[in-house]
Amino acid sequence: MLELIDVCIATPQRRLVHGLSAQVGAGEVLVVMGESGSGKSSLLAWLCGTLAPGLTASGHVLLEGRDIGLLPTVRRRVGILFQDDLLFPHLSVRENLLFALPAGRAAQRIARAEAALADAGLADHGGRMPHTLSGGQRARVSVLRALLAQPRALLLDEPFSRLDLPLRERFRAFVFERLRAQGIPALLVTHDAHDVPPGARVLQLDADATGA
Amino acid sequence: MRFAWLLPAGLFALPLAAALVWALAGALDPLAWRQLAADPALAPSLRLALWVGSASTLLSLGLTLWLVTHLHARPAWARLERALGGLLAIPHAAFAVGLALLLMPSGLIARLIAPLAGWTAPPDVATVQDPFGLALIAALVLKEVPFLLWNVAAQLRPVARNAQLRQQLQTAQAMGYPAASVWWRVLWPQLLPRLALPLLAVWAYGLTVVDMALVLGPTRPPTLAVLSWQWLLDADAAMNRQGAAAALLLAGVTAAGALAAAVAWRLLQPALRAREVRGDRPPAHAAGPGAPLLALAGVSAYASAIVLLLFVSIASVWSFPALWPQQVSLDAWGAVATGLRSVWVTAGLAFASAATGVVLAIAWMETTPEAWDRRAAPLVFAPMLLPGVLLVVGLYRLALELGIDGSLAGLWLAHSLFTTPYALVALAPAYRSFDARYEHTAMALGRSHLAFLRQVKWPMLLAPIASAAAIGFAVSVTQYLSTQFVGAGRYATVTTEALTLASGGQRGTMAAFALLQALLPALAFAAAWWLGRAQARRIGVPGVA
Repeated sequence: MLELIDVCIATPQRRLVHGLSAQVGAGEVLVVMGESGSGKSSLLAWLCGTLAPGLTASGHVLLEGRDIGLLPTVRRRVGILFQDDLLFPHLSVRENLLFALPAGRAAQRIARAEAALADAGLADHGGRMPHTLSGGQRARVSVLRALLAQPRALLLDEPFSRLDLPLRERFRAFVFERLRAQGIPALLVTHDAHDVPPGARVLQLDADATGA
Repeated sequence: MRFAWLLPAGLFALPLAAALVWALAGALDPLAWRQLAADPALAPSLRLALWVGSASTLLSLGLTLWLVTHLHARPAWARLERALGGLLAIPHAAFAVGLALLLMPSGLIARLIAPLAGWTAPPDVATVQDPFGLALIAALVLKEVPFLLWNVAAQLRPVARNAQLRQQLQTAQAMGYPAASVWWRVLWPQLLPRLALPLLAVWAYGLTVVDMALVLGPTRPPTLAVLSWQWLLDADAAMNRQGAAAALLLAGVTAAGALAAAVAWRLLQPALRAREVRGDRPPAHAAGPGAPLLALAGVSAYASAIVLLLFVSIASVWSFPALWPQQVSLDAWGAVATGLRSVWVTAGLAFASAATGVVLAIAWMETTPEAWDRRAAPLVFAPMLLPGVLLVVGLYRLALELGIDGSLAGLWLAHSLFTTPYALVALAPAYRSFDARYEHTAMALGRSHLAFLRQVKWPMLLAPIASAAAIGFAVSVTQYLSTQFVGAGRYATVTTEALTLASGGQRGTMAAFALLQALLPALAFAAAWWLGRAQARRIGVPGVA
């Protein structure tokens, strides 16, 4: 469970997020919507521990009951997916997945990466370089990479917005299925109401966001 | 108009190609090679050159990677980035002279240590011109790290790339990797290939440098570039040919070293990538003061070198271990004033060759499509990458053939061949990305192309044009080998004066000339900055008040 308690984020000039409280259960997706500049990305950055200098924040973020607000990014185990797939261009698809996996025996790690690729319909793509994949394939690999790092929560910063419509629907289903299957709570920032999974709660951010 | 590009291309490429051909022809004499191979000084001076070139390149690269890894995204990075322009504007020779005054046994560092060590006389240690070339390596590293940092900053500056790298950093950190580890595993493998050309320039310069080596480098034996230079200046024609052969050998060693590095990079890729993805998460360390302190020390070395040049130029009595001159006088500046012609020659040559460089660069970009820049790259970068001692052999022969050796016209031609590529490289990003819709608008309003250039494009691009001119000016001021060789020693500039005096006892006059060498480009950069700012204010560029 991911829990936000009385979160406030502000620039020196104005309040972005004020008194936000919310709970996101295992496998659940909480959708965050709002106009540009309403603080959606700043909220994700704060949850990730990478809030830009100049912004101030207060409040608590609990992950499985533990306050992670003061932990550095590397110890939070909160994964993030951006608009761009951000696959590392100098590494092959398999190497991108190996990068995310914890250290261990090489053969086991490679088997896990290959299994993940096969599960995503990308068997035999492990040796390819990212730039040789289609947009949809790259997007799927980026999700696999994020999940193989075993995050305890996942932040989705408009990851569907760069894809064309038919691809977008399939990719949404791909992501939400895996989040449900692995029981990972997720926060999805989007501008598009079509991105909202059925039955998901929507948090509308404006200057005076309140609890959801 | 279809073949208009031939004019600027020909004006630059023909003399350069002729110089290269003559340089090769002069250096390919079998007798000269036999003589070179039999010279007992060859092996030790080549070893020394390889040591200085490799050590300075690897140290510069290592320090650059370490500084960026530990400074990027911290306030110190922004401060350092702002200081880079100033550091790069200081000519190599002036910096070498200033650093020598800092490092020498009677230099400032020894004076600072003296009270603690109980020294009443300068210590008997070779801290400059040491047999291992350590002072030269230190100077090269101090000069090349800002150059490489400036190149990294230029790679990180485009908004889209910066955002992408920042998000890659966040993504990998979210997977449990500390920021420094992400730099080594994710960001540097992407950025390093883009630094190949600057690194090649650093390697080529370290291996073939003459002006800094004359001030700080070993003397018995000197590095091969210095030895080659001495042979080229010899009265014996056979020795001249041996010097040309040594210069060609240096070019070959430069190319072989670059090739070896490229092959090693390829061969190491599997091992490096396996290391990058092995999955271990090293512990995160809090950002320490090491990197900001190191950057501060580097900037302080520059400030100390310049301040020392000023002090030494006005000191008439400054005994060891006093920290300040006991008596000051303007004798050294008086000597400069009596030889004022060298200042005018320097400024005039710099002005003419910078203007030539900018005009040729603009003419090239106006007459050729952007895609041709890549085709022209080998010629454009030749003066930057080839050993100066090799190129001047061909330039001298070219001047002889044209009947302009030992004349200002010959010097203007030689300097212009160096200023043009720098002007092109400096101007191309702004010039090539100029919004083409302005021209369409001007045409639609019935204006000719020339009117559009004079009234719209060039005024709007005044700042980058002025900047390119200032860079060309600085490149000309720093020319030593071409001035001495093509000018046949008839025309002194502040650079030749400073380096000639560096081997003599007139320390004050040497410091004054070295300071002037730094001052002239600084004035050019200040003028370019002022022009750019005034224009930005006039046309309302955001952020310029």
